[in-house]
Amino acid sequence: MADPEITDLISPALDSNHVARIGVVGMPHPGVDARAKAVGRLEYITDMRLPKMLEGKILRSPHPHARILNVDTQRATRLPGVRAVITSKDTPRLLYGPMIADQYPLAVDRVRYVGDAVAAVAAIDTYTATEALSLIDVDYEILPPVFDPMEAILPGAPQLHDVKTRNIALTAGWQRGEVDEAFRASDVILEQRFQTQLVHQCYMEPMAAIAAWDTHGRLTLWLPIQVPGLAQWNYAAALGLAPGRVRVVQTEMGGAFGGKLEHSFHLVCALLSQAAGLPVRIAYTREEEFEAGLPRVPFVIDLRVGAKRDGTLMAKQADLFADNGAYTSYGPAILSAAATRSDCLYRLNNVRTSMTLVYTNKVPTGCFRGFGNLQMHFANESMMDMLAYELGVDPLDFRLKNATHAGDVTVHGFQIGSCGLSECLKQAAELSRWRETRSNPRRLHGIGVAAAIHVSSNRSFVPEFDGSAAIIRIGADGKATVLTGEVDMGQGSKTVFAQIAAEELGLTLNDISVPNADTDLSPFGLGTWGSRATTLGGNAVKAAAEDARRKLLTAATELLDARPGTLVIEGGFVRAPDGARASFADVAKHFAYRNGGAPILGQGHFVPPGVVPSDPRTKFGNVSCAYPFGVHVAEVEVNIDTGQVRVVRIVAAHDVGKVVNPLGAEGQVEGGIAQGMGFALMEEMQVISGKPANPNFRDYKIPSTMDMPEIECSFIESQDPHGPYGAKGLAEPAIIPTPPAIANALFDALKIRFTELPITPQKVLMAIQQTKAHEASSYRGGEASG
Amino acid sequence: MKHTIAITVNGTEERLQVDARQTLLEILREDLSLTGTKQGCGMGECGACTVLVDGMAVNACLMLAIRCDGREVLTIEGLSEGEQLHPLQQAFVEQGAIQCGFCTPGAILSSKALLDTNPSPDEAEVRESLAGNLCRCTGYAKIVKAVLSASKHQRGIARG
Repeated sequence: MADPEITDLISPALDSNHVARIGVVGMPHPGVDARAKAVGRLEYITDMRLPKMLEGKILRSPHPHARILNVDTQRATRLPGVRAVITSKDTPRLLYGPMIADQYPLAVDRVRYVGDAVAAVAAIDTYTATEALSLIDVDYEILPPVFDPMEAILPGAPQLHDVKTRNIALTAGWQRGEVDEAFRASDVILEQRFQTQLVHQCYMEPMAAIAAWDTHGRLTLWLPIQVPGLAQWNYAAALGLAPGRVRVVQTEMGGAFGGKLEHSFHLVCALLSQAAGLPVRIAYTREEEFEAGLPRVPFVIDLRVGAKRDGTLMAKQADLFADNGAYTSYGPAILSAAATRSDCLYRLNNVRTSMTLVYTNKVPTGCFRGFGNLQMHFANESMMDMLAYELGVDPLDFRLKNATHAGDVTVHGFQIGSCGLSECLKQAAELSRWRETRSNPRRLHGIGVAAAIHVSSNRSFVPEFDGSAAIIRIGADGKATVLTGEVDMGQGSKTVFAQIAAEELGLTLNDISVPNADTDLSPFGLGTWGSRATTLGGNAVKAAAEDARRKLLTAATELLDARPGTLVIEGGFVRAPDGARASFADVAKHFAYRNGGAPILGQGHFVPPGVVPSDPRTKFGNVSCAYPFGVHVAEVEVNIDTGQVRVVRIVAAHDVGKVVNPLGAEGQVEGGIAQGMGFALMEEMQVISGKPANPNFRDYKIPSTMDMPEIECSFIESQDPHGPYGAKGLAEPAIIPTPPAIANALFDALKIRFTELPITPQKVLMAIQQTKAHEASSYRGGEASG
Repeated sequence: MKHTIAITVNGTEERLQVDARQTLLEILREDLSLTGTKQGCGMGECGACTVLVDGMAVNACLMLAIRCDGREVLTIEGLSEGEQLHPLQQAFVEQGAIQCGFCTPGAILSSKALLDTNPSPDEAEVRESLAGNLCRCTGYAKIVKAVLSASKHQRGIARG
């Protein structure tokens, strides 16, 4: 995508003397929309209402696996207030999927999980729509289901998709270095299976969609979605339309964490609206979220690692199995991330990896903060702890010895431009009083450490391209509007973009607005995932601001009749050396009057340099332009009678490059730790005979105020060569080290290794009892033999 | 069958025709367009719909509208005076306690119920009174800080 003609259009950054900077980048800010949220005036999608809008509801399969023999919608259609009832017969029946096309918006002939969409109703209100669902009669022929991925790959297991043998959505493997030799040269080799569970993103705002078609057959979708641009592409294809026939308008988002990418119910909403000839909204209930959302991909990880007596890491073999659920969301990319990134945390030259993505008759799984790398880091960082223990070295020193450094090219070809991993380890050690705490062990109290590497964008996610583009419009009022295709889901990217625009234009944040993405108006954006918004989007906004500044200065030179290159921007004014000055509004008006009313438009884009898609077969390649690092130290206390684990304190040190908004960055870390704790200790979607058993917040507990430990976070500001002002991503690194740090602290407290998440009180109690029984029997054994 | 209720919302008396099955949350959001009160679960587990009824924090999704006859309801829209934010709203903003903002109105109203009865809570009391307000973004650290800071601010004003 390195088009030289396009690249040449980027204006070079002007000498910084042309703008009086007030240091907006790096200043703590509570968020440009915080005030609107505090007064309850920010409008989320369920707060919107289009004229004549209907409410839609989806009829879902009660069976994990069945053939659909007949669907009778007549009774539902006759219910007063019902405006449309659709089944797959009323749809184009085109297979859809962001990575593997294996799903219809409404099931054709077969359902593959409890929750699979069979039919949908649009009615005047949700009461009527819900009642209509109960009037749809479906005849099913029950088929045998399979729930465990390790069973699903066995010969003879029930098959979900006819075109995929042994339920394998994809499988791949590769080797780098001399793995067998390196294992032979190792003094210690450890092997362990690790497992992670099904968990939900639990954003507070449930998913929803509004669809409306105009008289020309063009579709508009209002969606709280992280990927408006990708949705436009994929939904147009799924509906048999050209991409230009679909407009996606992003709405305010009440959290997402990876859970709000493409979802087939958006298509159902579009099809319902088409059938009804009126706008339709589908708003998920919390129960539907658990039944038919896109929760985190569960993993089974077989890990084998070898090291020398002196603590040098030698070789690693990983065999990964991931539970895709019934259909594919982003499982292939999630699995690739899991299979590669953790190998790049330490200097390691010999790796052998296999990965297999398996269909099961459960809810489809997808993206959730960490994107496979979280699951793998639980295994990897637990294993590092086990190795250090086996070798009798301090686990923090063990990590320091093997740590990746800036300038390294890792085993998978990651070019590490900046790396504060060692500094993070040292900082976390100091802030947590690591050495004092370790050398004064207390009963039922433990301290553990874990580190993490992540990406800031992922070139392998979308084959077509990577990068970001932005437009900045300076209107006649002198205010700047930043248009971007990247998305704020509550994490604060609008604030970061406004800060960057303000920095480059010498304005305050009050002069900048950052509207939501609209595919008719915004530059095409790949959206917000892979911790890419600040790094890629931020660079694009910076380039657009520089371009706007150049145009503004050119217009001002004319207006003030000044000598080119002598003007300086300061506080919303352009000033000449002789003291003459013009406000942005004056300059913008001048520009508009000279150009038929045109606004000053700055355009900029950023293509991450040196970044390539990983090799489809071997996964080798520098997939990201920047790699953030982080270290967490957890302290835990165990109640030996209840098995309850209390996390007392977490110290976090993150290398995110330049911190653009320190208040927002702290918030990311604190929130990441909360989610990491929930994943480590509390959360699991229970599925019994394929049915969700705890699809609500009463039975599925996420951390509350009462569960949270004291958190101390600090930042190592390594200057990344590619990030804007040296900044890298933070959203995902914030969660990744928490679960293994907690598991390692538990080992320190109990000398018991937990390898399956979540580490519930029940598991802790059972493990303590087993250890006691084991100790007692070996003691008796000793007596008998003596 | 519709029932007529008289209900005071944010200081304004409203007469509404409500269905027996309708919740307070539904009439606030749909009949009165007060969409600042959010629905996060519909089961009284997440606290996003917290409003004050006669000064008490309740989950509006669990309270039937007909039971609100003759009562006074305060929602997030009734908290600020014009452009002047309530000290709790101000503190939530200043402390960075707001990320996606979906839980914010409920968390602020639970905090108000606390400070109205206990103007100087300690951290443990703040945490306890907000235990029913789930937030997935912030890890609660800055929310707790905001409530403690608002409490100090309010007492400062009271002393002054």
